[in-house]
Amino acid sequence: MKVGRIIKVSGPLVVAEGMDEANIFDVVNVSDNKLIGEIIEMRGDKASIQVYEETTGIGPGEPVYTTGEPLSVELGPGLMEAMFDGIQRPLEPIRELAGDFLTRGIEVPSLNREKKWYFTPSINVGDDVVEGDIIGTVQETSVIVHKIMVPPGVAGRVKTIEEGEFTVTDSICLVEGEKEVSIQMLQRWPVRKGRPVKEKLNPDEPLITGQRVIDTFFPAAKGGTSAIPGPFGSGKTVVQHQLAKWADAEIIVYVGCGERGNEMTDVLMEFPEIKDPKTGESLMKRTILIANTSNMPVAAREASIYTGITIAEYFRDMGYSVAIMADSTSRWAEALREMSGRLEEMPGDEGYPAYLASRVAAFYERAGKAVCLGSDNRIGALTVIGAVSPPGGDISEPVSQATLRIVKVFWGLDASLAYRRHFPAINWLNSYSLYQNKVDEWMNENLDEDFSKNRIMAMSLLQEESGLQEIVRLVGRDSLSEGDQLKLEAAKSIREDFLQQNAFNEDDTYTSLKKQNLMLKMVLAFYNEGKRALDNGVYLNEVTELPVRERIARAKYLAEENIGDIENIINETSTAIDELISKGGILNA
Amino acid sequence: MYKVAVIGDKDSILGFKALGVDTFSVFGKDETRRTIDTIARDDYGIIFITEQLANLIPETIERYNNTLIPTVILIPSNQGTLNIGMDRINKSVEKAIGTNIL
Repeated sequence: MKVGRIIKVSGPLVVAEGMDEANIFDVVNVSDNKLIGEIIEMRGDKASIQVYEETTGIGPGEPVYTTGEPLSVELGPGLMEAMFDGIQRPLEPIRELAGDFLTRGIEVPSLNREKKWYFTPSINVGDDVVEGDIIGTVQETSVIVHKIMVPPGVAGRVKTIEEGEFTVTDSICLVEGEKEVSIQMLQRWPVRKGRPVKEKLNPDEPLITGQRVIDTFFPAAKGGTSAIPGPFGSGKTVVQHQLAKWADAEIIVYVGCGERGNEMTDVLMEFPEIKDPKTGESLMKRTILIANTSNMPVAAREASIYTGITIAEYFRDMGYSVAIMADSTSRWAEALREMSGRLEEMPGDEGYPAYLASRVAAFYERAGKAVCLGSDNRIGALTVIGAVSPPGGDISEPVSQATLRIVKVFWGLDASLAYRRHFPAINWLNSYSLYQNKVDEWMNENLDEDFSKNRIMAMSLLQEESGLQEIVRLVGRDSLSEGDQLKLEAAKSIREDFLQQNAFNEDDTYTSLKKQNLMLKMVLAFYNEGKRALDNGVYLNEVTELPVRERIARAKYLAEENIGDIENIINETSTAIDELISKGGILNA
Repeated sequence: MYKVAVIGDKDSILGFKALGVDTFSVFGKDETRRTIDTIARDDYGIIFITEQLANLIPETIERYNNTLIPTVILIPSNQGTLNIGMDRINKSVEKAIGTNIL
């Protein structure tokens, strides 16, 4: 293929001429260092290339070699537990080769070519297969069965299929269709193209995260999209980590995109030690990390999001429920802005490119619950949870706005809550979930028929509280009626005993749905019983000083196996109130 | 039409009966509190209570300070006055017009 020549270098952007044989989005090798780059604009024979590595020392006149292929990821056994950079270079083998930091032009295959995997076929010679059919499995980690699928576009009759130990590039199966195709465990897929599915479904099942404020009040759905906007220090990363740890997805892809390196270190240090409540195995066994930390090349940041979601789609196609966390999409948008600026494109709002909204939308639209390709109609789900870091916490900026238009769940983090040490600092007044109705149905059916009623009641108490707080600020607490003061007490109890959750406490970090339901009942029981007492003439301070309130406050630290105690607390509350009424209540006239 | 009630020990309130006022003779703190809370829910507009009893249940008296109906008024009992009833009236007057004119 024709070799181009560099005529301009501007940071990660390189312009080369003589590229008339190349196409847009082709991967190229820049200079004799073979820096990996991708063509993002073509004008005549001039190609603008975003280079995924440091371009220091590159100058005009140096060659550019086209590969003629789009930027692709390698999909196959070996993805699990690995950590990749933005263009799927494996960081661990690179470290062995080149030391702690990325060196330029280093070439290591994404998936280990030497490692042998034991392949167990699940079909026989002579079977007809279509694209997406599972031909066999590999036990990738102790919890993940990697299903080997017929690549999209391939169909026919199985000619040979072998069981045994193979590397990812060995041929394991021959399919005879229009032409004979040899299937290996390794597939390549261009990152900018969504992997095909048979049919998209409406997400209706909640993604259980064990976080009370999320599951109860603002549930995410399996196959849904959520955004976590929040100012610096409000706990976006901790929320993302909590979701990555406890969400009941079978596979987690965590994209650390432009954030601090030590946040990825946290993941690397913590995850192997935490036991998954479902499998009892280490969480790392179901996790894939994509790291493009803030000191890594900007252009690769743009690709890291796509790399992550393509890998996630691949596992979704196996019928798994996958969740991808992107922290943070704002850094990704800034990478877009930087490239757009260097391309001298007309800037839109705040310098972001005019196509920002469509890029954000295209990314989130790749989420979804879907019937996967293949004749067994298996269902997979891909949940996307993106953090957004609006400067100053003001979500009227373009990235937040573009994101909010697309996503269905909004967890608004609040700096003032974080300042008051209310964590997770999800603001209950401006957050929302559009999956609420669907999830309510599911909860009422599978958890407790009163669940949605209780949730609505708790939420309305919280909303009334904010109205009452305004009156209190103006004229003082004593001007409220006792009923209203009880409402304030109850809302405080919901905030402190239910919404606040300690990510660093062993028993509080994950709350099962059953416990959430009981805890919600417990805090509401206090309000209902308290109201009954007031109606019967008991004084407010007698109700608020009940010793059982301490047990209510401590209920969140009850271990999962002791959640029966919560029912005892509810009973204790009613007995204590009964006692108050018999002692100090009005007489039955 | 609101009614008038008198709460106090038996000897102090007997005379009120002659006026056609409902009288409630009570004894002790708890009974006083429950009686006053109970009749406050009925349509009593004015509740007279003896100072001795009111002294036992300050927070209950406090509760009715800011409500329009019923009005709780402290009266001396047959053992003489403790002056808290008059104090309250003075305070109310001061609050209302800014100076003590009594």
